[in-house]
Amino acid sequence: MKQIDVKKNILQTNDILAKENKELLDSKGIFTVNLLGSPGAGKTSILEQLIKSMKDNVKLAVIEGDLYTTKDAERIESQGVEVIQVNTGGACHLDALMIKEALNNLELDDMKFLVIENVGNLVCPASYDLSEDIKITVLSITEGNDKPLKYPSMFQKSEVVIVNKMDLMEFTNFSMDEFYRDIKSLRNDIIVFEVSSRTGEGFQQLRDYLLNKIKEKGGVTNA
Amino acid sequence: MHEVSIVNDLMEIIQQNVVSHSLKKVTKVTLKIGTMTSVEEHALRFAFEVVSKDTEVEGAELKIETVEATALCPQCEKTFNITFLNKICPICNAYSNNIVTGYELLIDEMEGE
Repeated sequence: MKQIDVKKNILQTNDILAKENKELLDSKGIFTVNLLGSPGAGKTSILEQLIKSMKDNVKLAVIEGDLYTTKDAERIESQGVEVIQVNTGGACHLDALMIKEALNNLELDDMKFLVIENVGNLVCPASYDLSEDIKITVLSITEGNDKPLKYPSMFQKSEVVIVNKMDLMEFTNFSMDEFYRDIKSLRNDIIVFEVSSRTGEGFQQLRDYLLNKIKEKGGVTNA
Repeated sequence: MHEVSIVNDLMEIIQQNVVSHSLKKVTKVTLKIGTMTSVEEHALRFAFEVVSKDTEVEGAELKIETVEATALCPQCEKTFNITFLNKICPICNAYSNNIVTGYELLIDEMEGE
């Protein structure tokens, strides 16, 4: 019988590729966001609002993850920005290899902001680094304020949470107090933006935050 | 259900070792998994059974060791046990986001002949 001392990270292939992607994006000074959240939380709608208000200030591109369809990519493309569709063929998350292939097909020169919209899922994508600078998780009011505790890994790994559909607050029993208590115990330095993609509420602050991050990474914006 | 993806990556590492150590059969695989990975043990075992079928790994014992989550206190610089909801140092009451262990997803060792 042979005993083999393996001692390896099971996701090492993904992590090595993610590191290579990150080095490429860092060398070009591209601030990269991994945008996460449940199906229907409003990831694409938030992106549409952001693109509208940011595309004149900064060159940005989107990688759209989806199981089978190109619906979201078509929505983003109609905003006039570069978008690459990645279909996972049923898999529940994007991985670093998919991003590497997408980066090969993007015009990276002059680009300063890249958003990777992950597959709608609050569990699996948390384990797969893609090369992002930050993870942003979208939580909508209608999902309920219990979600951070039910899916703690995802929220704990996120630098930012966007609470969407604030305009529906009066129709739900969502408790902001409980939400803030829970989210701060998962991660006390987490940054929260309260927005509504429908009314545009809260987007000015979110946009300013992102433009500042893009500048910090070395990107020039004409904001 | 990314347990299948995890097992696929695990099998790749096992297969590399099967080749490099000329194994005919793998009898035991030991993993170390952190409590903050949110990996579901039943799903992982099920995926392991299915993916290893008709390979040298079929029937191998899958041992899963749990790694407790700990953080480094920013004040007293000692590591202490944490949970998702409690990251307060028991000695000086400081909060820590500096997670040291808990996200492990490792293959530790394997046995075969």
